Amino acid sequence: MPQVTIDGTTHEFEPGAKLLQLCLDAGTEIPHFCYHPAMSVPANCRQCLVKAGTPIFDRETKEPVLDENGEQKINFGPKLQPSCSLDVTDGMVVHTQLSSQEVAAAQADNLELLLINHPLDCPICDQAGQCPLQIQAYKYGPEGSRFEFAKVHKPKRVQLGPNVVMDAERCINCTRCTRFTAEITETHQLTIINRGDKNHPMTAPGEVFDDAYSMCTTDICPVGALTEDYFRFQARVWEMAKTPTISDFGSAGINVDVWTKNNEVLRITPRQNLDANEYWMPDAARLIYETYNEGRASGPTLNGTPTTWEAAAREAGRMVQEAGSDVLFLGSAYATVEDNYLLMRLAEAVGAPAPQFVDRRGSQADDGFLVSDDPAPNTEGCLRLGMKPVDPALLPSAAASARLVYILQDDPVQAEVLRVEDLEGTPVVLHGTHVTHRTPATVSLPLAMSVETLGTYVNRDGRAQLLRPAKMVKAMNRSLLMAVGTGQSRNDRVGTPFDRWHDEANQVDCLPGWATIPQVAAALGVDLTFKSPAKIMAEVSAQPAFAGATHGAMDLLGVPLETEDADVPQITA
Amino acid sequence: MADADTLLTGQSKAGDWRSFERVILPPVRDLHKIDVYEAEADGYKALKDVVRDGKFDPKGLTDEVKASGLRGRGGAGFSTGLKWSFMPPVDPDKPRYLCCNGDESEPGTFKDRQIFEYNPHLMIEGIMLAGYAMTIKTCYLYIRGEYDDYIQHVQRAVNEAYDRGYIGKNILGTDFSMDLVVHAGAGAYICGEETSLMNSLEGRRAYPRIKPPFPAQVGVFGMPTTINNVETLADVPLVVNRGADWFAGIGPEKHPGPVLYGISGHVNRPGVYEYPTGMLISDLLEVAGGARGGKRIKAVVPGGSSTPPLTWAMAEPTTMDAETLREAGSSMGTGGLCFLDEDTDMVSFTRRIAHFYHHESCGQCTPCREGTGWLEKCLARIDEGNGHTRDLDLLLEVCDQMEGRTVCALADAAAWPVRWGIKRFRDEFEAKCRPTAFASGALGGDGATEQTGELTPTGVPTT
Ligand SMILES: Cc1cc2nc3c(=O)[nH]c(=O)nc-3n(C[C@H](O)[C@H](O)[C@H](O)COP(=O)(O)O)c2cc1C
Ligand code: SF4
Ligand code: SF4
Ligand code: SF4
Ligand code: FES
Repeated sequence: MPQVTIDGTTHEFEPGAKLLQLCLDAGTEIPHFCYHPAMSVPANCRQCLVKAGTPIFDRETKEPVLDENGEQKINFGPKLQPSCSLDVTDGMVVHTQLSSQEVAAAQADNLELLLINHPLDCPICDQAGQCPLQIQAYKYGPEGSRFEFAKVHKPKRVQLGPNVVMDAERCINCTRCTRFTAEITETHQLTIINRGDKNHPMTAPGEVFDDAYSMCTTDICPVGALTEDYFRFQARVWEMAKTPTISDFGSAGINVDVWTKNNEVLRITPRQNLDANEYWMPDAARLIYETYNEGRASGPTLNGTPTTWEAAAREAGRMVQEAGSDVLFLGSAYATVEDNYLLMRLAEAVGAPAPQFVDRRGSQADDGFLVSDDPAPNTEGCLRLGMKPVDPALLPSAAASARLVYILQDDPVQAEVLRVEDLEGTPVVLHGTHVTHRTPATVSLPLAMSVETLGTYVNRDGRAQLLRPAKMVKAMNRSLLMAVGTGQSRNDRVGTPFDRWHDEANQVDCLPGWATIPQVAAALGVDLTFKSPAKIMAEVSAQPAFAGATHGAMDLLGVPLETEDADVPQITA
Repeated sequence: MADADTLLTGQSKAGDWRSFERVILPPVRDLHKIDVYEAEADGYKALKDVVRDGKFDPKGLTDEVKASGLRGRGGAGFSTGLKWSFMPPVDPDKPRYLCCNGDESEPGTFKDRQIFEYNPHLMIEGIMLAGYAMTIKTCYLYIRGEYDDYIQHVQRAVNEAYDRGYIGKNILGTDFSMDLVVHAGAGAYICGEETSLMNSLEGRRAYPRIKPPFPAQVGVFGMPTTINNVETLADVPLVVNRGADWFAGIGPEKHPGPVLYGISGHVNRPGVYEYPTGMLISDLLEVAGGARGGKRIKAVVPGGSSTPPLTWAMAEPTTMDAETLREAGSSMGTGGLCFLDEDTDMVSFTRRIAHFYHHESCGQCTPCREGTGWLEKCLARIDEGNGHTRDLDLLLEVCDQMEGRTVCALADAAAWPVRWGIKRFRDEFEAKCRPTAFASGALGGDGATEQTGELTPTGVPTT
């Protein structure tokens, strides 16, 4: 394999590699702004300069030319070169800022230039704390500035579209945002306007930046020029805790970071996973952040009256026992594999028919990218467990003839597969998430949402991915906290001194299915106790359809599951 | 600059220039009309000889142009025949393009417009020959947007040539076909940079592209492309008609040919003058009627605003060809000379140029976008009498931060006049500055004298 020497260390590389990416992969940071691995390389920020040379060969003999020490002579051109666009060639010798004073000085020069017209309003800038310009200016920039003139003024607080606000003075013209709309979503909604130091991105006159993925530009903007409208001035980034997890928005299995403070979800940003969402997520998947905070079902109830978890579980257990095999169990494509699995086990224990679930595939338009035709995150997980979609034609009569309807998470009334009338006279046990739930419940055992639990979703491509709890729930006792797993519970790593995660004010009184279903089962003498959801998944992964999908293996990026048709029951419409 | 003794002799290298017969802009009335061009200037003879009568095959024509020594007249002075030979072998599935660069926007440069106005068919014929040499089927003629009258004027000439069968399908009954599209420029200086021009043609924002890939590999619409200046292409029919030897015999060996000198500034008769390359700058001053009002010339910008200014002492013995000018410490550029007399305030002059580049930087890359503004603001302060001598060193450092670190050459073009203006006229700059004072006695004095070491006691620069 061809080799390149970077700061004295030799690396092998695949032909076609660009130097910056190679250095980043090899763990050598080179400051940069405009380069983004998913887009074209304009080499316009000029921050990633390095000194690169190639070996000199004798024209006639084609032998390498050696210097007096017998070392191969290297031809370093007269200019420093941007590493992002530089093709690595065999024998190339590279000096980054780590081994060349000249390179370090040039990088500092460039940062000085980047900052001369920059407003430096870090104290009021939402990007501060996660700002590549701020970070790299501290790391690689000059001590101060020699610029003694009025800065250029450009438009501020420009509402580019419903979700993105621009401060053009902070823009460093890296063109990441315009390339995003040109190359990723191909809406071409943004372009740079004006010339020189008056440059900034803009929409065409009269056009609105309403790209369904518009907020991705705020993720990739290396400064605070583009910010999410909903998150402006909501919190400083260092005040929040950031949890890597999976979005419950649709079946694409979007990897996200959920940003929380005081047990409220304030922001959701995409997390890189090249096998799932790459670097992106639709705006709609961010704007659901409020659903985790507001209108939550909190505290168990019995016939609408608050009660204790013990009493509610005991009552639910009694009702299941009474109904015996006449329970209609409904699982959910919104619930985790673990919770659905426990529900199946419960149904099996009482001899009831296996749970079914409401299949939402085809209920919305597929945008060909990350919004699929399925708004539910775990349809594939349900199918792999062997659960069958409900038949809307048969469900009402099944509900009417059942002695108990037991619902995990889903809302069949809202989904229009049941009417409230169909349930008249049939008691309902419900693990629901919101007070707006339209299916009436006799016993309500509020359920933790995806941001509060540990569990598994399987996306449309059969990728099993792990949910991690980003916020605390009130009823979570110490043993359950431990069950959440070392290094993952808020208890273990809540880091920011500004985050009052232990404050109960915003904690929802709810429990994950894997905590409540065993409680209900216990009330009827069935032991479904697992030490943790990881243990449940260890058992599930013994099934061929889930082979390999342990929590440990899924970790941050998930596990692709076998997709042999035999393993996955297919639905015929 | 090793050959100093051999080049800077103070002798004209333009031969018997006083009896030079104009060939690019011959004194023929109504030459822009195709009938006149055909009847009185051997019009389209070269095209007929080559395309119809087989005087050269494509490779032969390229070699002839190479042998003529013709170098690009757009600024960089690259060998035209060599550039043509960089085009990859013809791939029938891939269109390939020729761009004729008529964006002419550099201050002090106004020669292409004379060709548009007085001899457009010479350029058109050159375009067709170049297309033939490189087996190209489409040429875009990109004319500066502000040249609205010329765009229409040239379009009329193109239409005439279409009607006579010199452009279009089966030219002169052969199987060579080529179209020529006149395109109005987007109204910015940067559109003249070759890769920026290509983006502009494609309807994109005129941001220059990084190289590699070079236009011959990936040019307009991603296809192999050659780009030449208007005057460069206008020289091609002359090479064909009169032979490479004739062309190579005009002016100095390494940079031969007739050339249009655009002369401006403090002279009695500014204008465009056609002479051989290698003219003494002092002869060109004479040609332009000498300095206005009998003043002394103090400085000369030899090739458009981006080329470093020369003091008169440096310019006087210098001839207008790439090698000599490089040795003299400037560049041939576009051959647009600007003479500045003794009353010129070099600070104001430099400031004005800096303003232009600040205004015209496309803004794509950091050093140019930010540096051009910094240069202008700093020069304005000095010009207004509020600068300090330390500002001069700062200016030189900002130039260091810009040069050679950008996507295109505009940043260099912006930095050079400032760097060399200060270096060569530092006494004038210092005279406008307040001395830099330091509080500490240990530092003392100006603190900005490092660069002034080059000055002789009389203030006459050594470089
Ligand atoms: C900022 C900038 C502006 C330029 N403007 C022009 C122009 O207006 N006309 C032109 O012919 N060349 C211009 N050039 C030079 C072109 O990039 C290119 O070198 C030239 O068109 C090649 O033609 P030639 O080989 O015939 O000289 C410019 C270059 C730069 C860097
Ligand atoms: S963009 Fe970055 S450097 Fe600029 S004000 Fe905001 S945090 Fe500070
Ligand atoms: S707004 Fe941000 S992403 Fe867009 S060009 Fe400016 S700095 Fe780059
Ligand atoms: S050097 Fe200046 S004009 Fe050229 S690409 Fe960079 S910013 Fe644009
Ligand atoms: S990252 Fe290389 S120039 Fe911007």
